[in-house]
Amino acid sequence: MLAADDAALRVLVLENAPPMSFRDEFGQLTGFSVEIARAVCHEMRVNCAFDVVTQSAMLPTISQGKADIAAAGLLETPERRVKVLFAKPYYRSISLWLAPSGVTPGQAGVKVAVVGGSAQDAYGRKQGWDMHPVATHGDLGAPLLSGEAQAVLVPMISALSLQKNEAFRQLGLATTVLQAPELSGDASFGISPFRPELQKEINAALDRIKRNGTYDRINSRFLPFRVS
Amino acid sequence: MIRSLQAIQAGRAFALLAALFVAAFGAAVVLLALDQQRVIEATSRLQDQTVPEIIRFQRLARNLEQLRQEGERIFAVSSHASRQQSMFVVTLIASHPSILEHPGAAQLARETEQFLGEVVRQSIADDRRPATRYDEWQRLAARLGMQVDDVSIQGINLANNDLVVATSAMKLARSKLMMALILVGVFLLGFMILVRRHLIQPLQQINLALSTLSADRPAPDFKPSTMLEIQAVEESILEHHALLIQNDETRQVLEKLANKDGLTGLMNRRHFMQSAEVELQRAQRYRRPVTVAMADLDFFKKLNDTYGHAAGDAMLRAFADLVQDTLRQSDLVCRYGGEEFAFLFPEIGPAETQKLAERLRARCDAMEVSLPDGRVIKATVSIGLADASECPIEIALKRADEALYEAKRLGRNRVELSGPPVPATDSEPDMRTARLF
Repeated sequence: MLAADDAALRVLVLENAPPMSFRDEFGQLTGFSVEIARAVCHEMRVNCAFDVVTQSAMLPTISQGKADIAAAGLLETPERRVKVLFAKPYYRSISLWLAPSGVTPGQAGVKVAVVGGSAQDAYGRKQGWDMHPVATHGDLGAPLLSGEAQAVLVPMISALSLQKNEAFRQLGLATTVLQAPELSGDASFGISPFRPELQKEINAALDRIKRNGTYDRINSRFLPFRVS
Repeated sequence: MIRSLQAIQAGRAFALLAALFVAAFGAAVVLLALDQQRVIEATSRLQDQTVPEIIRFQRLARNLEQLRQEGERIFAVSSHASRQQSMFVVTLIASHPSILEHPGAAQLARETEQFLGEVVRQSIADDRRPATRYDEWQRLAARLGMQVDDVSIQGINLANNDLVVATSAMKLARSKLMMALILVGVFLLGFMILVRRHLIQPLQQINLALSTLSADRPAPDFKPSTMLEIQAVEESILEHHALLIQNDETRQVLEKLANKDGLTGLMNRRHFMQSAEVELQRAQRYRRPVTVAMADLDFFKKLNDTYGHAAGDAMLRAFADLVQDTLRQSDLVCRYGGEEFAFLFPEIGPAETQKLAERLRARCDAMEVSLPDGRVIKATVSIGLADASECPIEIALKRADEALYEAKRLGRNRVELSGPPVPATDSEPDMRTARLF
């Protein structure tokens, strides 16, 4: 979707990252993050134009001020905090290590599939793991099915959609919750550092939709449990 | 409080009262504002912190309930894939921070995850196994259900604290408001009483005193006022009253001075004419006899020339004393000018007046006046009389004057009576009318 000229805010979203951000059967962008972003725009009474980007392009675009809001569940890490502003968290996430039994994090010779530019990607590289980055969350299953990667490190909600894939389930991977501070906790929208005034407005809008039921309706629509 | 003081300025007294009132009412307002602030704080805390917290508890309850549902599904479905799907959700919920931050829920979720994990693993080996552990699950599910209830109630109860604070602040504020209103009422009542007692009533008394203030009446009797301003006004009124009396006395003195002849102490001519006019009118109205006279000291100019003006003055004074001594109290006499005197004798006709005048003439004739240098002087008086009972005073005096000249002409030191009145000129038409008939 291209930014309309009169759009007050340019909002970056991912696609092919169900159930957070994807296109429905009519080709319309939807998902938990997208709908929360829409609700926030509605609460702020501003027009928002959605631009689809990849995970790896999202933060650079925001930090350069080419867009106003990154509407995806970004984990707030020290590296990111110097580049972009963060809104109040809109859900809390954990990261999962999905691998065949016996394949443990950090094990030599294990290729780990991640979404390029994600917190999980950054964490794996920092640990010195052999990473196999893919462009979108929807592409995460393929490297494991083809044998290019032996494990996948994903945010919990991406794992949910991977589990829905019959072939992926057939791999019979074991689930481990990785309890690293960089991999779990608050997930927030990113805000352009050139628009600091947006932070307060977005936070107030988030508070309102959490109080007035909009948030919970969107939660129920896309996710099997309460993620805030 | 005011009464106990000797005196106080009204302005200060009311300023003091107003200051007290402002202080007391201000304190009440501040106290009320503090209560209001507490209510505002409690309600904004309820809105900004407690309500999100309550919602958080509701979401936690919802997740626990979801755990229970996923557990039920694991037992209900026959598809292993569905069981794995549910088990995955159970793992996510049990690991999610929202569950982990509530110790009771976290403990139960971990138990549930372990139990259901075992069940799912066993179901891989033997599809019938889940049913055998269903009773066990039922107990766990019941505990989950109760945990849901507990968490819900826990969440709702968070609001209680804020509500208790707000309610108690409101109750306190209500009683303080009542106190403030009573305070205002008492102050207003007190203010009105003080204004009435110390301003309105004294002002009414002052108004009454001013409207009746006169030299003829006694000085107004004010009750002592405590207000300096009122006291000042009352003192001014008393001073004004004293001044009125003083002015009246002065007026009387001045009137006497204005009516007297400076040398002899007798009436002056102007005052005599006024008094005689009044007396004559009265006599004529009641048809009472009245007589006028003119007297002149004989050879007075010669006496002046011989003995000096001081001797003349002494003679005039002696004659005046003689006149006052001789005549009746009711007779009017004045120094008409120079050595000439005018008289009015009420209630007696010319005959009786003649006797009186004769006695005056005789006593004057017999009088000797000693001068300071030891010399003795004498003088005689000529008197002309006229009946004044039927003519104006000017005419009567003119006729008396004519009689006086007659007395002078006939040799002085004698009393002459004017002849019968000459008909007045304005009666001539009547006479002509009389002749017509």
